[in-house]
Amino acid sequence: MNSRQRAPQVRMKLSAIFLVFVLSAGLLAQDNSPQVTLNIAKSGPRSVEALTQRAILRDYKFAWANLDSALQSNSAGPLNGLFAGTANEWLQDAVNHQRRSGITSAYLNQRHKVDAVFYAPAGDVIELHDTAEYDFEIHDNSKRIHQEHAIVHYVVLMTPAADRWVIRQLQAVAGF
Amino acid sequence: MHTALLGAGFLLAAMPALSQDAPLRIPSNLVAGQPVSIATAGSGSATFYLSGPSDSLKREVQLGQNLDLTAKDLQAAGRYVAILCSAACSSVGFFVAPATPASLTFLVHPSRAPVGLNDGISGVAFPFDQFHNLVLAPTTVQFQLAAKGSAPNSRSVQTHGGVAWFRTNSGKSAGPLEITASLADLSARRVVQQVASDPCNLRIKGQRTAKGIQVETEPVRDCSGNPVPDGTIVTFTAKNGDDVSFVDAPVKQDVARATLLAKGSVVVSAASGVATGNELRIGGKE
Repeated sequence: MNSRQRAPQVRMKLSAIFLVFVLSAGLLAQDNSPQVTLNIAKSGPRSVEALTQRAILRDYKFAWANLDSALQSNSAGPLNGLFAGTANEWLQDAVNHQRRSGITSAYLNQRHKVDAVFYAPAGDVIELHDTAEYDFEIHDNSKRIHQEHAIVHYVVLMTPAADRWVIRQLQAVAGF
Repeated sequence: MHTALLGAGFLLAAMPALSQDAPLRIPSNLVAGQPVSIATAGSGSATFYLSGPSDSLKREVQLGQNLDLTAKDLQAAGRYVAILCSAACSSVGFFVAPATPASLTFLVHPSRAPVGLNDGISGVAFPFDQFHNLVLAPTTVQFQLAAKGSAPNSRSVQTHGGVAWFRTNSGKSAGPLEITASLADLSARRVVQQVASDPCNLRIKGQRTAKGIQVETEPVRDCSGNPVPDGTIVTFTAKNGDDVSFVDAPVKQDVARATLLAKGSVVVSAASGVATGNELRIGGKE
């Protein structure tokens, strides 16, 4: 087989390798984003409209992805617009303190099982109970000093902003 | 502090850590804003880390001695991880609970409500401690509603998951409704302005003048007798066979007035919202 005959086979092999690489990169990217389910069956007194449920789910998921990003990179930028009030202050403080200490933390393989437990009559605040499961790691510079698979319960208060729902309180508790 | 260390149980370091040779002993039942002493075992020096909801610290310590965390280190309620690294690292997770309520966040809706509206007013109260942690332990919030000319109405509601709420009808009379949420010596006050509902039983009178037909309403009130707010629009209609003309006029000091330019014999009526008034027959000008 001469080089001219081999060229299409090489191209096909390269294409196949490239395809596998792209697909696996895509799958990995999917795995890294938080998995969130939101159950509204227990919420009240106001019922959660389908559109609101979708918006809360989208914004809560996005907020956790960005929380992880902020604490991994020690940059407060990803927190902007997704957290407000106390939640925002605490996370900003956490990022600042981590940066000062040379520490980073990561919330990997996140899975959140979220129940809406209270939705105010006027629709201006919702309380969520999140049973979150993730691999939590803490690094001092490049050295991993802590790693655990954690299941943590969070009480969350979210309020509607102009075009999204923002987290105002994100408080871990021993149990619901 | 040390009393907590002596009196309470301990959470022993039992983590997927790299070693258990330098365990940490964390007192249980920790409360936000209270200093705490953590016992360490072993000897030599080590690096201590604390990772919490708003805090992250790193400190060199001597094993075998107590580690003192200040009130400021533990202000945020939530989950913390304490890590001790010498030859290897070991760690322990623990929770800090909110302190006692120090403020009430009280949301009331709407700021203006028409009278006689079923479940038209609602309020939601959240107790927070002095560090802005949501207080989740059940506690009783007293809601008091007071409107001029009626007896105050109060109700006690226990918080569930850090929230207490109520919903109520608006009153019969226009005026401010003061709503107070109180918890022990804390209180938050809000005011809902109760305004007249839609106009009811419109009555009009009119006469022909040199400029046209001048019509006006009697004082426009809602069905509970409250005068409607200035600016409420009343539409006057003059009908002469197939010829129909309209004039919109705002209520000013309870009365809406307009001049209709219709000629001949006309039937004048008025409407505002869903309320319609009497018909007025005015003859043509000779």
